Amino acid sequence: MENLLTIAVLLPLAAAFLAFLLPARKPGAIRALAIAATGVSLLLTLCIFSQFDRQDAGYQFVFAHEWVKALGINLKFGVDGISMTLLLLVGIVSFAGTLISHEIHDRQKEYYILFLALTTGISGTFCAMDMFFFYFFYELAVIPMYLLIGMYGSLPAGKHGRTKEYATMKLTLYLTAGAVLALVGLLTMYCAGGRTFDMVELKNNLRMAGSSQKWVFACLLFGFGFLASLFPFHTWSPLGYAAAPTAASMMHAGVLKKLGAYGIIRLALPMMPEGARQWVDLLAVLACFNILYAGWAALTQKDWKFVIGYSSVSHMGYVLLGIATLNVIGVSGAVLLMFAHGVMAALTFSLIGFFYHQTHNRFVPDLSGLARKIPFIGVCMVMAVMASSGLPGFANFVSEVMVFIGAWSQGSTVFRIATICAVWGIVVTATYLLRAVRASFFGPLDEQWNMLKDATTLKQKFPYAFLIAVLLVVGFWPRALTDIIKPSVAQQVLATNPHESPRMTATTETLRFAQGDKPGSGEQP
Amino acid sequence: MSLYATQLECLLVLLALLALLTDAFRPVADKRRFGLLLAGLVGVTFLYSFALMPLDGTFFHGMYRLDAFALFFKRLFLLATAFVLLMGAEFAERFETGVAEFYALVLLAATGMLLIASVNDFILLFVALELVTISFYVLTCFLRRQVQSLEAGTKYLVLGALSSGFTVYGIAYIFGTTGTTNFDRLAELLKVGVTGSAFTLGMLLVLTGLGFKIAAVPFQIWAPDVYQGAPTPVTAFLAVGSKAAGFALVLRVMLAGLLPVSAVWVPVLFVLAAATLIYGNLGALPQTNIKRLLGYSSIGHAGYMLMGVAALNTLGAEAVVFYLGQYACTVLGGFLAIVAVTKVTGTDEIRGFAGLGKRSPLLGVALFLAMMSLAGVPPLSGFFGKFQLFAAVIERAATDGRYYWLAGIGAAAVVVSLYFYLNIGRAIYLDEPAAEAGPIPVSPAVRAGLAVCLVAMVGLGIYQQPLVALAQQAVTVFKLN
Repeated sequence: MENLLTIAVLLPLAAAFLAFLLPARKPGAIRALAIAATGVSLLLTLCIFSQFDRQDAGYQFVFAHEWVKALGINLKFGVDGISMTLLLLVGIVSFAGTLISHEIHDRQKEYYILFLALTTGISGTFCAMDMFFFYFFYELAVIPMYLLIGMYGSLPAGKHGRTKEYATMKLTLYLTAGAVLALVGLLTMYCAGGRTFDMVELKNNLRMAGSSQKWVFACLLFGFGFLASLFPFHTWSPLGYAAAPTAASMMHAGVLKKLGAYGIIRLALPMMPEGARQWVDLLAVLACFNILYAGWAALTQKDWKFVIGYSSVSHMGYVLLGIATLNVIGVSGAVLLMFAHGVMAALTFSLIGFFYHQTHNRFVPDLSGLARKIPFIGVCMVMAVMASSGLPGFANFVSEVMVFIGAWSQGSTVFRIATICAVWGIVVTATYLLRAVRASFFGPLDEQWNMLKDATTLKQKFPYAFLIAVLLVVGFWPRALTDIIKPSVAQQVLATNPHESPRMTATTETLRFAQGDKPGSGEQP
Repeated sequence: MSLYATQLECLLVLLALLALLTDAFRPVADKRRFGLLLAGLVGVTFLYSFALMPLDGTFFHGMYRLDAFALFFKRLFLLATAFVLLMGAEFAERFETGVAEFYALVLLAATGMLLIASVNDFILLFVALELVTISFYVLTCFLRRQVQSLEAGTKYLVLGALSSGFTVYGIAYIFGTTGTTNFDRLAELLKVGVTGSAFTLGMLLVLTGLGFKIAAVPFQIWAPDVYQGAPTPVTAFLAVGSKAAGFALVLRVMLAGLLPVSAVWVPVLFVLAAATLIYGNLGALPQTNIKRLLGYSSIGHAGYMLMGVAALNTLGAEAVVFYLGQYACTVLGGFLAIVAVTKVTGTDEIRGFAGLGKRSPLLGVALFLAMMSLAGVPPLSGFFGKFQLFAAVIERAATDGRYYWLAGIGAAAVVVSLYFYLNIGRAIYLDEPAAEAGPIPVSPAVRAGLAVCLVAMVGLGIYQQPLVALAQQAVTVFKLN
């Protein structure tokens, strides 16, 4: 039982090693191995989810093994409600990602090895209870991404003449810069907390003065912020996604980016509560820049992948705003939005990948009336856009509403204004997405696209239908996830926060009531 | 007992003599096989060294020690020597004459390094250092019809002689002010408080000599030129053996002999570390020749390790020792791949490595992972080395806030270094090979060597405990807090 989680995390890595030993002339076997590994990993994750104790806000399925005694490093995995949600996300996106990777024909062996290593890097970060392994897996994800983009990516010649090599190098350097900045903060916590990397122990041990908390929090916030594409450190992101192959875009926009926000939630907020309070106003302002500036940038983009790339930067703004609220509903909303946006971004990128693979063109003005030739993909795209614009029925709606409520009830003027900006951001999002869909999927069919083939077999349709189904299920039944997220947020992240106002609980109750829950059925302590 | 303590050195000298004598009686027909044989014998010596136990006390009137620290470094040098001989065997076709002398000189330099690991006296320090350095003067210009190799040798000779002069001058000052050259005695005297400007001058002069060996700024000028011009196996030996010998001396002299006056030399090393990090990593950015790039990179790595020495805590010392151990595996693997590639392509330019991932998957993986390990990316051993060094610096920073600056410079250097290491990675995997380029054959010996290095690199990157334990054991000989 305890080992279930460890197996789910390490299985893709084991498969990568196995693929390394297989001869490169058998790509079919390697692909089957990759699908099996991510599929089994997803099944195990679902199994863990079904056995997850919903009454317990702490870590479950804990596995611990002493690693380097001298430095206090242990290999320790465990999930609470937050990491459970995100682990599900990794399972879903990586499985869908391997399924749609059939478009890769060149150097498949290397491709799947890198993809599987990337998957383990991400899920390992979400499950690590030891700061050393958190950082280890966090960094582990960077280099496979460099190679995936560089070897299998494509970047149509833009106005700046940027190549995929440029894009992938920029992405790698930005993420590493953020990582080393965060490392300084992590190691400071390690030394101040009695030389232990154990997150639970560290949270209990750490008693840092407000002034040092302030800058350690800044290290973590901006360090992880690089990966969460916090304005103004987001410029790597649209470019990187545009250059990446489909599955890598899915993994990166869908999951990898969430590592940054997860780092802030998991390490920065609980360990540096004093520091957090000193930075949240700035974070809220920056989050608004994310939402509006990136939204505005998306309005002017012509390349589909750049549109979605900027859109994902914009959506991370909501996540960061939710984190900045420092209250249960806001942070829980941020976690749920990470999940919802992850699935949605993966869906959108996989759909773009589907037609780009045939058209070799994703320039919005060049495409027209595609829905006539590929109706299935068209319908999926419309649904993805609806999810992205936060229409009710999709998971994104619930989470965005939670973030808005959290931000509004935070009370200060900064947050009130930020909430208004964020709500306005939804209008912007709907504008650029609907415009792009209208231009490329509807209208008269351009003759050159007559050769397009739709996804007809179940095998082809499955990944897209699967992702949409996830969005709908969570959209209609958000309690499946919010019930485990909220107690963990309250206990693991915000337990030390004395500014939790009674009003907040009232709001939480209201929302629960709105979701068809009996009022007063109880918030976890 | 003294003979027992020095048996590894004796074995190496015997091997060197064997190499020379064999050549005298029966001119070596198959240079390659002869090198492989010697590499194998050194490998056996390496394995044999694990039968030895660290001994308390000193030998040869307090000049020589065989403690855990010494044994750690002796093993490291033996391993490096075996690999360098293996590389030399691959490279031997390019030497016109004197291949046996080449092997013999490598073995003699190795003997010097083994002595350095055990040094407990400034006199032995100087003798051992000269044995290494003089062997390297010859080795660097072994391709004696190539201007670059000759240039490398000359530069190394001139600057090396200068730094030896500094060292011996510094030793004279230290002896003049304290009346002893023995580290233990020196530490006792310094505790009582024998200092003064003459002594400080002597110490700084010795530090100059050591700075030359480890290629720390401002004594680094030779490194890029010599790395580029020297025959590749010699470059590898400089990068691994000579660098580790330098750091063994830095640790031994600073942490054993001069520990009581750390207040004087720690600020110096602090500044040197920062300058070395900046110079090495920025200097590597525009390089197009892989050996020259690795020359700059080796300066950068000296900077990282100096951070660990400047931190002056147990964690820092352990981190430096761990770093050297993993650095050896990484760099040897990298150079082994470079030797195998350049044997076919004949060029050290980075663009000569274009499409290596397709031309030879094994060499591509080995070189790529070596570069990534140097850059400090998990799950490779270089990552943990850097992680530990940063932890040591930040632990020190808790009491002395200035160390956050050092950590900051180190962190920036990591990002910069990733750029130039990834440029090599880009050539290997992203760039297409030239049209006429075919597959690159890899001999079984090189395959085996690469496999050892890869296993060490990845293995120590994932499960660090074995080397951490060895490093911990090694630094117990120092009385750090």
